[in-house]
Amino acid sequence: MKLRNILVATTAIAAASIAGSAAAADKMKIGITQNNVGVDSYQTTYDKSFKEAVEANDNVEAVVLDAGGDVARQIAQIEDLIQQQVQAIIIWPTNGEAVIPAVRKAHKAGIPVIVTNSNIAEAGFEFVKSFSGPDNITQGSRSAEIMCDKFKEMGIETTAQVVQISGQPGYTTAIERQKGFDDRLPEVCPDVTIVETQPGDWNREKSQKVMEAFLVKYDKIDGVYSGDDNMGVGALNAAKAAGRDGIIFVGATNFAVGYEAMEKGEYWGSIYQSPVDDAKAALKTAIDVLEGKELPFLNYFDTPKITQDNMSDFTKPVF
Amino acid sequence: MAGGFTKSDIGGLLAKQGILIAFVIFMIGFTVANERFLAPENIMGVVRSSAILGVMALGVTFVVISGNLDLSVGSMMSFSTIVVLDLHDKIGPELAIPAMFAMTLCLGAFIGFLVGYLKLNSLIVTLGMLSAIHGLTLTYSGGKNMDIANKGETWFAVFGQGSFLGIPVPILIFGLLAALLGMVLGKTPFGRKVYAVGGNGVAATFSGIPRARVVFTCYLLSSLCVATAGLIQASRSMGSQNTVGQGLELEVLAAVILGGASLLGGSGTIFKTIIGVLILGFIQNGLLLVGLQFYAQYVVTWVIIILAVWLDIAAKRGRLLSPIA
Repeated sequence: MKLRNILVATTAIAAASIAGSAAAADKMKIGITQNNVGVDSYQTTYDKSFKEAVEANDNVEAVVLDAGGDVARQIAQIEDLIQQQVQAIIIWPTNGEAVIPAVRKAHKAGIPVIVTNSNIAEAGFEFVKSFSGPDNITQGSRSAEIMCDKFKEMGIETTAQVVQISGQPGYTTAIERQKGFDDRLPEVCPDVTIVETQPGDWNREKSQKVMEAFLVKYDKIDGVYSGDDNMGVGALNAAKAAGRDGIIFVGATNFAVGYEAMEKGEYWGSIYQSPVDDAKAALKTAIDVLEGKELPFLNYFDTPKITQDNMSDFTKPVF
Repeated sequence: MAGGFTKSDIGGLLAKQGILIAFVIFMIGFTVANERFLAPENIMGVVRSSAILGVMALGVTFVVISGNLDLSVGSMMSFSTIVVLDLHDKIGPELAIPAMFAMTLCLGAFIGFLVGYLKLNSLIVTLGMLSAIHGLTLTYSGGKNMDIANKGETWFAVFGQGSFLGIPVPILIFGLLAALLGMVLGKTPFGRKVYAVGGNGVAATFSGIPRARVVFTCYLLSSLCVATAGLIQASRSMGSQNTVGQGLELEVLAAVILGGASLLGGSGTIFKTIIGVLILGFIQNGLLLVGLQFYAQYVVTWVIIILAVWLDIAAKRGRLLSPIA
């Protein structure tokens, strides 16, 4: 009798623990290593949104890591995630080249890798399941279209001169946005000239300096394209200080400061890119991969045009 | 020889002002390349945007002359900027500015205590503080960009964007602070103690100079300058990212060394530091005006700095090459 009771009890415990582990196994375990949380508001908001999206989804648990901008640490984190046997790894690359060997290792271990926000170099594409992020070349082209449309509306599309303030040299996002803008502007507005491009290093103060030099150098500037609104607002400050009115400012990655300047009518337009959408898209891509759905390799989320005309359709960015 | 220069007078002038001569040569070079370079609005613009770097360099000049380094000024400037912007909307500019100065001076006092009284190596201390303060700033702000909400409704803009008698306020602040600190360094007993401590610390101690207190005060002055720079920066752009001062520590140090201060301590002046600051500012601006392809700008900047240092040294020893091969 006693023995039977014990047997029943142990069987029940065993059954319960098996059921328990089965329940845990039902949850998808996804690891993410981010670039540098806290360095700017975009990445901070991304981190917060990603965690919230995981919270909201009962089928997912996540190991959320941050490389702090350090390639070596990111590589170590990828190796950790492989050891922890996560089912998918999301990477926001600190460096598009240096992470490739670690990505290859994850791929060899049978763990699908999803790259988020900024893609890795082409040499690593074969080890990557899917890329989720903004299409920076399209963003650059769209900025060119916004600017050209405005010039046409003003009737200066045959004479306008544009200067460009690009992001940090060597940074993929900077290069792609510049390429998109440089290629598209002559297609839509063939008579507009880009008189000069200089980097603002994603830095508002630096962009203000660059714009001050442009204003001294060129008497006629009709438009300024900046690789993001943070730099665009720096350029706007320079123009305001020099008393040069009527310049059309177009940026990318609409920041709160850019949105406010648009409200005041000082800044014409930008590209709306939400870190919340970016984070959600990354998680969804990872889940879709694990559920075996067919995905395009480049899985872009939409980043629409925003100008003074349609800005009421968008909420003010939180960063 | 009344009224005339002897050869040794000219030699003496060259030796003293080699860096000034280098400065004039670069100015002529850039003017030939682009006639707008010497336009008053350009000169004014360059001096105004150099003012932030300049104010920081004034403080670092003291630290370097006392025989130490300060690599924390860049991230300390980010800290001041972020703090004053954040407090501006919370407690108003009247309180935000003194609060920010107090917090920044605390950081300076802490560094001064470690280097002065505990005699820890200044390179290690300030290099560590460079990242520690960066972390502090990020923790404070949560990584978010700080922006003043109602930019049109505050007098706070006066420090960075205002002007008085046609001169931009940042230039005035830079000028006044330079005059004041130049006097402190050149004309007061404290100034002579700074040179003594940096020139020969042991001898200074034996002469009864309180070495620790002098070093401590130098760092305090440096943080005072950083706080002022942060104020100008915050007021100039009315908003900032957390990394606004990143990398400035090296530019500041370059300006101070370019001005002829010795990294080993004991030499340098406020006037020469100002020339160093202006050389850096005009190089950046000049290369932009010339329209040089930007990857090349990094290289050319380095070449110009090396040329300036070489001219300075050559003038001092009276020949281009070293007398000892």
